[in-house]
Amino acid sequence: MSELALSALPDLSGVSVRQQSATKRILKRITPFLFVAPALILVLFWVYRPLVQTFGLSTQMWNMNPNVEPVSVGLQNFQYIFTHPDFAQAVWNTLLYILLMLPFSVILPMAIAIATNRLGSRAKNIYRAIFFLPMIMPPVACSAVWRWLMHPINGLFNHVLTSMGVVTEGIRFLSDENWVLLSIVLIAGWKMIGFSTLMFSAGLTGIDPSYYEAASVDGHKKWYQTLTITLPLLSPTIMLMLMMSVLMTAQWTFAYIDVLTQGGPAGASTNVYYLLWTYGFKNFNSGLSSAAAVVFFIGFGILALIFTRINRKVAFYDN
Amino acid sequence: MMEELTISKRRIHWQNGLKHLLLILLCVFAIFPIYWMVISSFKGQTEIFNNSLLPSSFSPDNYTYALEHVDILGMTANTFFMAISQAVLQLVTAIMAAYALTRWKFPGSRLIYTLFALTWLVPIQATMIPNYTTLVGMGFRDSIVGVIIPNMASAFAILSLYPAFQSFPKALIEAGMMDKMSAPGVLFKLILPNIKSSIVSLGILLFINSWNEYFWPAMIVSDQGQATLQIGLRSFMSAELTSWGPLMAASVLASLPILVLYLLLQKQVIQSFVKWGIK
Repeated sequence: MSELALSALPDLSGVSVRQQSATKRILKRITPFLFVAPALILVLFWVYRPLVQTFGLSTQMWNMNPNVEPVSVGLQNFQYIFTHPDFAQAVWNTLLYILLMLPFSVILPMAIAIATNRLGSRAKNIYRAIFFLPMIMPPVACSAVWRWLMHPINGLFNHVLTSMGVVTEGIRFLSDENWVLLSIVLIAGWKMIGFSTLMFSAGLTGIDPSYYEAASVDGHKKWYQTLTITLPLLSPTIMLMLMMSVLMTAQWTFAYIDVLTQGGPAGASTNVYYLLWTYGFKNFNSGLSSAAAVVFFIGFGILALIFTRINRKVAFYDN
Repeated sequence: MMEELTISKRRIHWQNGLKHLLLILLCVFAIFPIYWMVISSFKGQTEIFNNSLLPSSFSPDNYTYALEHVDILGMTANTFFMAISQAVLQLVTAIMAAYALTRWKFPGSRLIYTLFALTWLVPIQATMIPNYTTLVGMGFRDSIVGVIIPNMASAFAILSLYPAFQSFPKALIEAGMMDKMSAPGVLFKLILPNIKSSIVSLGILLFINSWNEYFWPAMIVSDQGQATLQIGLRSFMSAELTSWGPLMAASVLASLPILVLYLLLQKQVIQSFVKWGIK
């Protein structure tokens, strides 16, 4: 505000300036818009315009052929998705994905970060460089090697399991409906765990060590310190990673599902976003895809709202 | 007294040992699949199925096979083109927007900020059908350009740069204005040189994200000549279901540029991910 006032003042007070600078003043007015325009126009055109169109498409029937006019069908698409089991299955699977992902994105990383906190050695940097590596690996390359590791006959996992006598026949990790969801979680979790550990470590380094010193002087035990100092001060990181896991797990697992299982067998590994993809680009039913997109957009939006509310109440910031 | 000291010292040693063990376990879990990918890629045809932890000899056969059967070099070029254009365009649009939003308060500036901030709630699958039909209508099916165009601006990049711009001292900007610096002048001569490291590390992050991008390329490019590494690798995977050796070799080649980048700039890469999180 103050800069705008400052920059506007000389123009208004100087009478001689006023003549020459009508165009200059206009230019000054629109300068901010010129700078923000490229990003704003692109975001409006590629995010908000299609979002509005998706709302429109959700009440229509259309096979995405540009030569065919969409037909308005009212709320039929919504009726369809709410009464067909594949929608419920995708929602249920997503819930399972989120719950099973939490050990990799929140629980284990937090435990590891707390347990190894203040390990003041150069080794720590080497550990970090190594356990962070999965995060930057291309997802299709990861899918390839995990499929090889999990191969039912020749894969290393089954080789080890059978030679140890745990199983007699190789587990079909990616094609057995009891295993497939767990296998996808393992792959996505493998990608996340190192990164999450780093996030929690970063959260821990922000904690003032004098708190612990004071607690030690008061004779408090280590576990009590963890409970009363570490966890409250770590709560912003915990909330962030929890929110990311809930909102993004369906996104993190998407590429592995598409490359390794296509949601199968019999929908056992599909999730909400993969369902949208299946409706849209496998069945070419843009109405169903859009109706489901509207439902999930609103659902996740409400979840995000709840999270930010809780965050404001619960997360403890050390000022 | 002495005894107590050695006991506590021993306890610290023991505890440190446990910490190292925990981190080593995490490292083994993280690195093993990548290690397996690399060594499998060097194993000969008979050896690949015996699951040894080291190949008896390093054979380049899988690499020659993969290079002969898929146009890995062409796909690498495509992917470089896509990743660099996206990272640069996203940086440019983000720098301009973050500059405008932090330097001036203008009508609608709050609304514009909010519009950027809320995009992360819009999943890509909720916009894919309209965007797909738009791109096809523009004639960008099967073209790398069609992948880049919807990704020229990144709200994530704008929001990441926003704090860096905001913390730039206002007094310096005012001093620049006294010297009759223009708006772009202030940006290029004053601000950018001072926040160079933020920009570079965000650029690395955007490059890696774009390199690994799967969703848009999978939707837009299917043609081999325009395929990115991710897409080419996927079709190689479904075409050669059991040629594990060549598949691992192709996977190594698809990851190689990222691995080299990581080897060189490992600290910055980690920092930029921790600082800005995941998209």
